[in-house]
Formats: sequence, C-alpha cells, structure tokens
Amino acid sequence: MTPEKSTHPLVVENLVAGYGEATILDGVSLTVDAGEILVVLGATGSGKSTLLRCIVGLVAARKGRVLIGNRDINAANDVEREDILRDVGLAFQEAALLNSMTTAENVALPIIEHWRLDEATALMLARMRLARVGLAGAGSKMPSELSGGMRKRAGIARAIALEPRLLLLDEPTAGLDPTTARAIDELVLSLKARADMAIVCVTHELGSINTITDRAVMLAKGTVIASGTLDEVRANPDVRVQAFFRRELLPQGERQSLVDVLEWRG
Amino acid sequence: MNTEPIRCPLPARIENDSLAQIRRTVLHQHRGTTVVLDCAALGALDPLGAARLLRVIAEARAAGIDVRLANLSDGARRTLTDVDPAILGEGAPRPRRHPIEVIGERALDAADALGEVGTLLTETAAELVRPFGRRGIKWGRTVQQMALVGTEAVPIVAFMSILLGIVLALNGAQQLRQFGAQIFIANLVGISMTREMGPLITAIIVAGRTGSAIAAEIGTMVISEEIDAMRTMALSPIRFLVVPKVLALLCMMPLLTVISNVAGIGGGYLIGVFGLNLGDSAYRMQTVQALLISDVVTGLVKSVVFGLLIGLIGVYRGFSVRGGPEAVGRATTSAVVTSIIACIAANACFTAFFYVTD
Repeated sequence: MTPEKSTHPLVVENLVAGYGEATILDGVSLTVDAGEILVVLGATGSGKSTLLRCIVGLVAARKGRVLIGNRDINAANDVEREDILRDVGLAFQEAALLNSMTTAENVALPIIEHWRLDEATALMLARMRLARVGLAGAGSKMPSELSGGMRKRAGIARAIALEPRLLLLDEPTAGLDPTTARAIDELVLSLKARADMAIVCVTHELGSINTITDRAVMLAKGTVIASGTLDEVRANPDVRVQAFFRRELLPQGERQSLVDVLEWRG
Repeated sequence: MNTEPIRCPLPARIENDSLAQIRRTVLHQHRGTTVVLDCAALGALDPLGAARLLRVIAEARAAGIDVRLANLSDGARRTLTDVDPAILGEGAPRPRRHPIEVIGERALDAADALGEVGTLLTETAAELVRPFGRRGIKWGRTVQQMALVGTEAVPIVAFMSILLGIVLALNGAQQLRQFGAQIFIANLVGISMTREMGPLITAIIVAGRTGSAIAAEIGTMVISEEIDAMRTMALSPIRFLVVPKVLALLCMMPLLTVISNVAGIGGGYLIGVFGLNLGDSAYRMQTVQALLISDVVTGLVKSVVFGLLIGLIGVYRGFSVRGGPEAVGRATTSAVVTSIIACIAANACFTAFFYVTD
C-alpha cells in the first residue's frame, strides 16, 4: 500500500496496540504539523505512553499505521527504520540516560553514530545542545549526579541532538516543582519556535497543558474521546473530559464499584 | 446446571472460623451456580473482614461460581464502594495445574529460551561481519571489555589453577606411589589441565565474574529503559553491548585458559619436584613428552565455545529481566548457574566426541 502524500511529520491512523492479550490503544488517529505542539492528555493508564512507544516502534502496532514523514515505521526494514528514527527524538519520562556515560557523552552518542563525526566535535556539539536546554557546564557530570529536572533536560537535549523533525516528550514536567516545570515548558516552547519541530507532548499536568498546547487530543481507555484546540477540548461535554479539567473524580455513574458488581438484584 | 441461586447467610462478623465454613459452602457448588451471601446479619464490614470475604469470592469466581451479596448494610456498602472491581481478578488464586502441564510448559519455556539464544547468536554473528557493511565493531568498547574479562581475571585464574594442579598432583601421588610410578604425575597433571581442567576452571571463574556482570549490567539497563532509549536512537544494543562483550570473551577465554594450563602444570611441578623429589628436569621432560599439541588445541577449542556460551547466556538473562532490582539479582544468579551447567554439559559432549574420534 503506497502512503498518500502528506506534509505532516506524524500521522497516526487507526492505531491498535497492546501488551500480551491486553489492548491498550484501540483505534487512535491523530496528526501533527511542523511547528505545532500536540498535547496528548489523559488519566493514568489511558494509553498515552504506549502511544509514544508505538510511534517509535518499541511497541508493534496490531492494526493501523504510524507514518513519520510519510514512511510507515511498522512496515520498515531495519535500515529504513534507522533512517526514520533519525528524524525522531524521544525524551523518556525518567530520561533513560545511559548511566555509564557522562551527560555530554549521552548527548554525543547519537551524533557520533549517525553523523559520523569525530568524538571531540560531537562532544562540543553535545555541550551546545546541553547549553540550549540550560545545562551548560553539566556535560561532565554523570547522570546520577543530576537532579530530576536536570535529568529531564538532559533527556530532551539528547532527543534534539540530531535536530529531529518530530520530538516526542513523555511527561516532561511530571514530579517537578512548579518553577522547574515552568522552565521546561518554556524550553519546549522555545524549541517549537526556533527549530520548527513538530512536538508531541504527553502530560497530565494542567499547568503545562495551559502553557504549551496548540492542539490537544484526550485519551481514555485507549481511544480518543476529544480533540481540537485546547478550548475545543475543554468544551467537550464528555464527563471524563470535564472531570479531568476540573480535577474531579469521575461521577459515580462512570466508575464501577464492587457494590455494582457484587450486589444481588434478583 | 443449577439456575436457582443458593442462599447462604453470613454471620455478624467475618472471622477465620466462619470464613472457612462460608468458603466450604461456596466452593462446594458446581461451576455456573450462583451463590447469594445474605449480609442481613452482617454489621459494618471492616476492611479486614472485607478482604477475607473478597478472597473467597475471587476464588469462587475463578472456579466459575458466581457469588453475590444481598441485604448490604450502609456500612458494608461504604467499605465496598471505593474498591475497584479489578481486584477480584487480581485476587483470584492461580488454578492448580496437572504436573504434566507444568512439565510441558517448562519444556516450552526452555525451547523458547534456546530459540532466543539462537536468535542472539545469529544477530551477534550478523553484527560481527558488519565491518564490511554500514557500521563497524566498537573496538574501543571491545578492548575495554577485554581488560575486564581477561586482564582482571588473570590473578584469580592463575591462583585457582595452581591450587587445582597441586590437588591433582597430591591425589595422583597417593595412587601412583603404590606402583612406583610417581613420575606419571606429570602426565596426569599436564593432560588433565590442558584437556579438561584448565578450560573448565577458567569457564567457571569467568561465568562467576563476567557472566554475572553481563546479566546485571544489561538487566539494569533494561529496567531503567536505557535499552529502549538506544533503540529509539536507532542504535543497536546488539552492536553496542553484546558484540564487544562476546568478542572479548571469545578472544580472552583461550588466553586465560593458556594461563590456567601453565599455572596448573606449575602447581603439579611444585608438588612433584619439591614435595615428592621427582627431580626438576625429569618432571619437565615427562610433561613435555606426555603433552601433545592436540591436547592443548582441544582445550583451547573448548574454551572458545565456553566463552560464547557464557556471553550469550549472560546477555539473554540480562535482556529477559522484567520488573525491578530483584529481577536483576535473579537474572544474575541464573546467568551464572546456567552458564556453568552449559559449560559442563558442553565439556562432556566435547570429551565424548574427542574420545570417539581419537
């Protein structure tokens, strides 16, 4: 099947995926444009992180397509997949820096491998990337010496090391104090403005959502229940959307309790 | 199938004794039966009582018996309202399986593991020939691994081999003394060390030092998502992690085995010359005459295979880690035990093969 021509850096079409017998994503579709931040919202366990893992091919799609620059990552062979992934950067929730390397070496690793630069030049470039995320001077530190916020920044620096067209951020501000979280939000906005990247950011932090969102999709139980601009999503009447933005528990009718399951109504 | 529900009154409090009786009543029913537990006498259900009751309900549901609650008090209702129904599935006991089923499952797991080790071998071999393709071997990492696997293991391998040589010589001396043939201790030690004991003691030491380290390192990287991070950067973990380690083992195992052979023969020499007064030149001459090139080569061939086994098993155990730090510990132990068993089994196969073909 030849994919239709598209200018979108990322197109996800009717994606179905899961682990073992469990289906985590059930028919998710979305697109992201260059220079746009798409925020993926949803409660814990709604499938947000699995969506990112599917986009980079860590979890195989059972159905549907993930097109990155018009190329389907699931249909790609090893060489094609390597080419596709060079255009994608993923910043993990816990940064996932290689603990045996310094921070600068972590950022330099993809540069050395894919751009075939000598180590000294790659390290210099890596330090520039680190400076861009506010970590000038932290290059020679080991990941274990960095604070949580610094590790997340270093993860972002590594994700943008190859200047990808598509940047994926998994909960970049989760677990951070409000000031550090705000700084990371500003960093994400600056990346969008300066690099014209398409950014997909998974988060459930309302502060970040209000700051960085151009468009949003909301997932619940692996399906998209709302999408559009932030105002459009906020206006969606679905009780799960309303409960999410008002930080409320779901209404009783939406939650099943043991009483519902066990009570005899014969 | 019984379509009428069976009613069973619950006591005022759920205690261990009353629970045992409820459990017997419920689980005694046939699959498909509905049992209604009447909670009219039950007061406010405390969390402990609820946990006890839910354990029985989960067990019954796993056995295909539908258990319902009737006449819930407000207190009991409050206790159960905030509980996610999913706990009934989580709390269900594992169904008992027939021993044949368990053996079959273990056999399938073992076949899967062999298949995965085979895949690892193929992928590693593919990466080893890549220097002629798009990417090269990470020589810097390989040399670093060689130092870890080889250089740092020299003292322990040499020390253990000297002790082994001494033990072989002392045991041999006891028997050979009866025939006045103590000089043949040189043959015994020389041939045993080069053909069998040298490669094997080296493999056991390397499995303990390096096999465990490989499993622990890769396992830790798996649980901290470092392996996933490498994959998303389009970097092959096989090329970065596996090839340098396996290559280092393939290169260093024969060298360590040579050191082990020399040290073991040295140990025998110490006993022969200084303990039994067999004479320096006589002992050396006897050793040289006894040893054939094929004895040494046999041991070296074995050592290369042992190195490959230790590397692949360590890597496989590392990549198989799921969960937390405890899983890394289990993988490490398992890597050492499996490697040693695999090396001893391979050694037996080699020895049988060389015996037949000699």
